[in-house]
Amino acid sequence: MTTLPVRPPLARSSDRVIAGVCSGLAAHLGWPVRNVRVGMVLAAFAGGAGLVFYAWLWIMVPTADEAARRNARRPASPIAPAVSQPAQGQTLQGQPMREAPSDGGTSAGAAGPADGAAESPWFRVRGMRYGKEILLGCGLLLVAGIMIAQMLGVDVSLGTLIPAAAVLGGASIAWMQLDETRRAGLVDKTKADQAGGWGRLAAGLALVVAGVLVMVSGSGSWEQTWLALLASVAVLGGVVLVLLPWALKFWRDLETERAGRIRETERAEIAAHLHDSVLQTLALIQRRAGNEHDVVRLARAQERELRGWLFQDPGRESGQLSDRIKAVAAEVEDLLGNPVEVVTVGDAAMTEAHEALVQASREAMLNASRHGGGTVSVYLEASEGQAEIFIKDRGPGFQLGDVPADRLGIRESIIGRMKRHGGSAAILSTGDGTEVRLGLPAAAEHVEGKS
Amino acid sequence: MNTIQGTAAGSTRPANSVRVVIVDDHAIFRSGLKADLDSSIQVVGEAATVEQAIAVIAQQRPDVVLLDVHLPGGLGGGGREVIAGSAPLLSTTRFLALSVSDAAEDVVAVIRAGARGYVTKTISGAEITDAVFRVAGGDAVFSPRLAGFVLDAFGTAPADIADDELDRLSARELEVMRLIARGYSYKEVAKELFISIKTVETHVSAVLRKLQLSSRHELTKWAAERRLL
Repeated sequence: MTTLPVRPPLARSSDRVIAGVCSGLAAHLGWPVRNVRVGMVLAAFAGGAGLVFYAWLWIMVPTADEAARRNARRPASPIAPAVSQPAQGQTLQGQPMREAPSDGGTSAGAAGPADGAAESPWFRVRGMRYGKEILLGCGLLLVAGIMIAQMLGVDVSLGTLIPAAAVLGGASIAWMQLDETRRAGLVDKTKADQAGGWGRLAAGLALVVAGVLVMVSGSGSWEQTWLALLASVAVLGGVVLVLLPWALKFWRDLETERAGRIRETERAEIAAHLHDSVLQTLALIQRRAGNEHDVVRLARAQERELRGWLFQDPGRESGQLSDRIKAVAAEVEDLLGNPVEVVTVGDAAMTEAHEALVQASREAMLNASRHGGGTVSVYLEASEGQAEIFIKDRGPGFQLGDVPADRLGIRESIIGRMKRHGGSAAILSTGDGTEVRLGLPAAAEHVEGKS
Repeated sequence: MNTIQGTAAGSTRPANSVRVVIVDDHAIFRSGLKADLDSSIQVVGEAATVEQAIAVIAQQRPDVVLLDVHLPGGLGGGGREVIAGSAPLLSTTRFLALSVSDAAEDVVAVIRAGARGYVTKTISGAEITDAVFRVAGGDAVFSPRLAGFVLDAFGTAPADIADDELDRLSARELEVMRLIARGYSYKEVAKELFISIKTVETHVSAVLRKLQLSSRHELTKWAAERRLL
């Protein structure tokens, strides 16, 4: 395909004089805003072309907010490649719109509305977002072509041209609508702007009907057209009356089926998850039923996993201090098999010093689990001023002085590490258990940063 | 069990046995719990749904109800609805919430409905026995996790004089909650703070009362916002 440089998407910026078109265009093209503005003003004197161009961009280009929303739906796709696709590459067979006078722009004009209907798979896959733009572009090309043809002396009778234009316009309005509702249905089912949608559909329909009538009746006389219009509306009404029950039933079936499909997808997802996690663990537990230690460890790990899956709040920011502490606790639990209960109050964003705190608490948890031999309680309290972690076990306890000098676990990994990062560590051990207290003031990270 | 958190010594065990109703929708869990409980605890009834629970409690008038937070039946309110339905008995029957749920709003909802405490279902038989006696004696039972909830909800700054008394924890209550969240037993809390176990219990009961009565809007908002822990 085309290898155009990737530009920022064309969007109306909030830095605006009138509608933010110029600054948006400048950002898109990488030109200075001033030049674009001056150019636009100059162009406005050239037969009003600048004005028309400005108005067109104003209408067609989304504001930065809208663009952001679009991008959230489909990531990074600058407008240029999609527009520069060979939009007229696929000619469409059996198009009823071929009545339009055959100029340079004709095939484009015919292809445009059909694309709007998203009938061709090519279009639906790549260009759906720009259907409107392409459509309008083709329409304008068509008009330009006709004007040029007239200038060159080719006789294009207005009698055929206007009805054809009306039909084309009406159809494209209605089709654009179809395209959008389909998209809305895919993304989510809220159709808040359905009223407007119906209005557009009706307008499109009216245009097409009027256009066809004028074309078929072939005369511009009002009485005839009026009569024919009445007759056709009556026929259409009759047809609608007959088809309405079917349409309604069809619609309802479609809705039920869609709801069913959503439920089915959800069920399949849950089943897949349970199969991957819970069923596997249950099988493992049955095979290891003789080993109580393993069974407890498996059950704990599975509980943790399932809990995370069920109660996970997708809106919450992850990667915070409490998440790291929980992850480390889970790791220690898996490694040594003793439960590690974590209670957290408050939270803080991770910094380098916090990482040291996490590593020190990991070491403390490992010690507590290894030597305490029972449940390890971990309590994290993070406030604006500082972060504190307490790791408590109920083992036989020990004296720091009794630890051989070559064992670095406590001295280096816990106490030394905390000191180096501007924090503090205290170890309190009695016959009833041991508690490691780690503290890290919020300002400590700056100390670390300079050293 | 060597994992008892040293709480037994501090509890006030009534001389006579305690009559208990177990409310949980899992039969396996009920029978397991029954087998785990001390012989001095007499299980006088079981229930699996909200309606059954209210009926059994009204009929048996137990000392303590071990109440699962999540229950089928009723209007979908679970344990909270059982407590509300047994409101006339609240002076003699005490509720201890049991849960596998980590969801704060579930736990806080039953506590605010009138439960005297909350423990997780993974707790050992000895610990739950102790908790039952403690609740039967009129005390509150806080697990480390519930203490964490409380600290999160009320904030970790001590009360100002200007604040509504119900909306903040006193400095002493905060200390007690912090130690419980750190995994201390009541006895250890008492030792750490140089106060008697009775005083610790008074503080915990006061916190429970605040948790139940406070209209602090942050509390309800917090409970609704937090899905996790």
